[in-house]
Amino acid sequence: MTDSAAPAAAPIVPFSRATGPVGQVLRYGILIVVAGIVLIPLWATAIGGAKDLGELRSNPFGLPSVWHWSNYTDILLSARYWQVLGNSLIIALLTVFLTLALSSMAAFTFAHLHFFGDRFLFSYIQLGLLFPAATAILPLFIKIRDLGLLNSHWGIVLPQVAFSLGMGVLLLRNAFKQLPAELLDAAMIDGCGYISYFFYITLPLSGPILSTVAVISFVGSWNNYLLPLIVLNSESRYPWTLGLMAYQGEYSTSWQLVLAFITLTILPAILMFLIAQKYIVAGLTAGAVKG
Amino acid sequence: MSISQATAFQPAPRTSLSAWVTIVLFLPPAILLFTVFVAMPMGEAGWYSFYNWNGYGRPEKFIGLKNYGYLLDSAPFARALLNNGLIILASLLIQLPLALGAALLVNRRFPGAVWFRMIFFLPFVLADVAAGLIWHFVFDGDYGLVSSVTTFFGAPPFFLLADKTWAFSAVLIVIVWKYFGFHMMLYIAGLQGIDKSLLEAAEMDGAGPFQRFRYVTLPLLGPMIRLSIFFSVVGALQLFDMIVPLTGGGPFDTTNTMVSFLYYFGITRMRVGFGSAVGVVLFLICVTFAFVYRRLFMNDD
Amino acid sequence: MNFRQVALASTVLAFGAATAWADTTVTILHVNNNAVATALWDKIAADYEAEHKGVKIEFKYLENEAFKAKLPTMLQSDDSRPSIIYSWGGGVMDAQAKAGFLKDLTGEVAGAESALAPTAVEAFKDDGKVVGVPWDVGEVAFFYNKKLFEKAGVKAEDIKSWDDFLGSVKKLKAAGITPLVVGAGEKWPMHFYYSYLVMRIGGEHALTDAKAGKDGGFKNATFVEAGKRLRELAALEPFQPGYLSTSHAQSAGMFGDGKAAMDLMGEWVLGMQAPNSASGKGLPAEDIGILSFPVVPGGKGKATDTLGGIHGWLVTKTAPKEAVDFVNFFSQEKYAKAAAAAGAYIPVYKGAEASITDPAVKHIATDLAATTYHQNFFDQDLGPSLGRVINDISVAVAAGQMTPEAAAAALQEAADQQ
Repeated sequence: MTDSAAPAAAPIVPFSRATGPVGQVLRYGILIVVAGIVLIPLWATAIGGAKDLGELRSNPFGLPSVWHWSNYTDILLSARYWQVLGNSLIIALLTVFLTLALSSMAAFTFAHLHFFGDRFLFSYIQLGLLFPAATAILPLFIKIRDLGLLNSHWGIVLPQVAFSLGMGVLLLRNAFKQLPAELLDAAMIDGCGYISYFFYITLPLSGPILSTVAVISFVGSWNNYLLPLIVLNSESRYPWTLGLMAYQGEYSTSWQLVLAFITLTILPAILMFLIAQKYIVAGLTAGAVKG
Repeated sequence: MSISQATAFQPAPRTSLSAWVTIVLFLPPAILLFTVFVAMPMGEAGWYSFYNWNGYGRPEKFIGLKNYGYLLDSAPFARALLNNGLIILASLLIQLPLALGAALLVNRRFPGAVWFRMIFFLPFVLADVAAGLIWHFVFDGDYGLVSSVTTFFGAPPFFLLADKTWAFSAVLIVIVWKYFGFHMMLYIAGLQGIDKSLLEAAEMDGAGPFQRFRYVTLPLLGPMIRLSIFFSVVGALQLFDMIVPLTGGGPFDTTNTMVSFLYYFGITRMRVGFGSAVGVVLFLICVTFAFVYRRLFMNDD
Repeated sequence: MNFRQVALASTVLAFGAATAWADTTVTILHVNNNAVATALWDKIAADYEAEHKGVKIEFKYLENEAFKAKLPTMLQSDDSRPSIIYSWGGGVMDAQAKAGFLKDLTGEVAGAESALAPTAVEAFKDDGKVVGVPWDVGEVAFFYNKKLFEKAGVKAEDIKSWDDFLGSVKKLKAAGITPLVVGAGEKWPMHFYYSYLVMRIGGEHALTDAKAGKDGGFKNATFVEAGKRLRELAALEPFQPGYLSTSHAQSAGMFGDGKAAMDLMGEWVLGMQAPNSASGKGLPAEDIGILSFPVVPGGKGKATDTLGGIHGWLVTKTAPKEAVDFVNFFSQEKYAKAAAAAGAYIPVYKGAEASITDPAVKHIATDLAATTYHQNFFDQDLGPSLGRVINDISVAVAAGQMTPEAAAAALQEAADQQ
């Protein structure tokens, strides 16, 4: 079962059985270098928020000569920050929930059931991926208005879900099809219907892909700017992307405040990612790697 | 190919009822939502392409195919088309292998794995307005990282984003940076779905890590890789977010993509009809690609 | 779950509260986030509400690009349409008027308008009908660094004609100073050069004639020569390195850092150069001089013709009558004087410039009061499509990417496609 070059059978599950400490060093080395490069812009964003405008321009990557913590604390202490964050969170969570629900149901149907026109409908849904949303804004606005959803969170959530369906159905159908077919047959023989199968077998076994769809959907909603802009009129409903406008003027923008604000608003998205991570890589302990 | 398909064709009466109940309950909500909020607006937007319309009121000046004529004559559009092609190439040759490599490296549980995954995914999360500004600073010839490099070599300041020939390579770098984390997440999810026992069996048979990857992992990851390529190409064709804050399409319209071209030449110029024409052309290109891709790789049949 | 209930409840409450307090609400949508200006406006709103019970005045702020993106959709539906909207005049305003979204104010604001600068008032007419009331005006001029001029031996008062100007550029370069800073990455700063050249060469009617299609429209000699002059200037390499990707804010900061001698810009740069500078302090006010754009030999334009932005309020067609009333209220002398004194903006009220305290701003206001012909920004006047084209070609011609003839032809082509 194990290799002759047995790596440390430590509490930490060894991540590669064929290479020992050298492999580990190599792995960490590569990861750290790549992570460093990737992080540079993010680092600059975070420290940029603590500078004043002029220094941001002349010294974008160095540490601030004077740490303007007030940029950050002013934001954290303002009620507006929490209000826009709350709005963004409500919208994003609703979007994620509905996207997962509708996509998984549709994907399941496409994966296992075949009926006249099923392929047509599947392609139909994928059309959403192929058309730039920016062009459809005006007619979309009219639809939302006609349905009485203007200035409401649902006016944002529902179109967002609709546009995510293409991605969600594609990913989920692919994953559902990869589940062993024998499971379905056995379930059928035992008298289980499709719907029960969906809830008791398919969904629980699809943790990783569902979490992935959830994260992508969350981030898409979190950063969405155009749709909330045209749907919402009341400032009290603004998500953080619209709340950002307070720092942008007609001719000039307080970039340092923008960066501070964005650094703070990225945190919930990161939190969402970390939570989803548990489900994405949960499979590790499920089919335990023997050391 | 799959046994469940065979089963579906010979349903027991009870399965058939269950099947229909499922279809009727599971499908309509998605289809309905999609139709109302995506299909219908898309159709109307396509219809605008036959008008000369500034977005106020209703479209009135019908001009037939003239917008498409202007489009075919437009040199910036041709350049945008080329740029999209370059993005696709960069994605397929650089971004996807990078994402796959990253996924393989961070797919296991080791101290710090979660943090690496998070760091690689962060570019995707960072709002474009901030990313555009910061990368602007990176490439700044006076104070940015580029300037650090040029002063180190004693060269005169070089303004990457002002250069007609090289500005687009700057854009490509940013695009790879932004999206490789997204594809990495897809691959991680895909890798999670691979049955560990198959890998163990291969190892027992004496396969080294590279052979295991080539003969077990890669084929099983096949569907996800094909999907990732699909998203990558379609995403590359739809790319817009980063262009506006980074280069504004310039210098001299050398860094536009089709959608940023649509935004600048259609929407901001209040030529909604023209913008719709671009959208329709883009849509047709994507549909053709999707059709050909599915045929060739039997992806989703 | 209960979060949503709370949210729902508070929405209902807020809604109820809003309708309970006021019978009529006048919403005003704008893009100004200058704290001094908005404080003054809040005061005006409060004064009006005190005099007119039952009316609520609500100023709503949207960022510039967000405003432009959202306005078409807002105007579409009766319930979300604001009563009064901020406007830069020009082609967008014309489009809004032609689509029937604006109220015809002819006759209803005559009292206010008689006290305002006539050129500004003209800018807010469409087809002879008054559709808006202006409240501020600005000027684009050369802001120069006095110390750098001294260093190079350039005297501002000697720069009267285009050739004098080119001479001064050469002198500055010889002294090792960057003559001009421009945020060409955003394109519109460069179109100021082109615009002024058209004005100085073609005079007062250059733009209206071109729009009407006279002499080949935009392909006429005026526009071609303007392009040639611009190219003449750019060939001297007067701009800062990398100017094609410099943003407007960066250019203001560079000017504040003393990195360049001149910046052809609107009056707002005075307020921008300090915060954007590396030190945060910028150039002290006494070191900044203002120079009018030079005259072009053989041109019809005068040195006293000015280019600058005009802001005004437009009233939408479904607005309550209190909205028109408020616009008149807003235009009173006392508020114009307050705005001038506070340094919020330069009001168009005749004589209000006397209340301005800042010497640089006063200089601009005096220029404007004495103007022989005031032209709105070209990229506003020409409308969104032609406006973008003129921005694009200005940069292209300056960088030598496009011949002046091709540039003029591109303008005409865009005009034809409208």
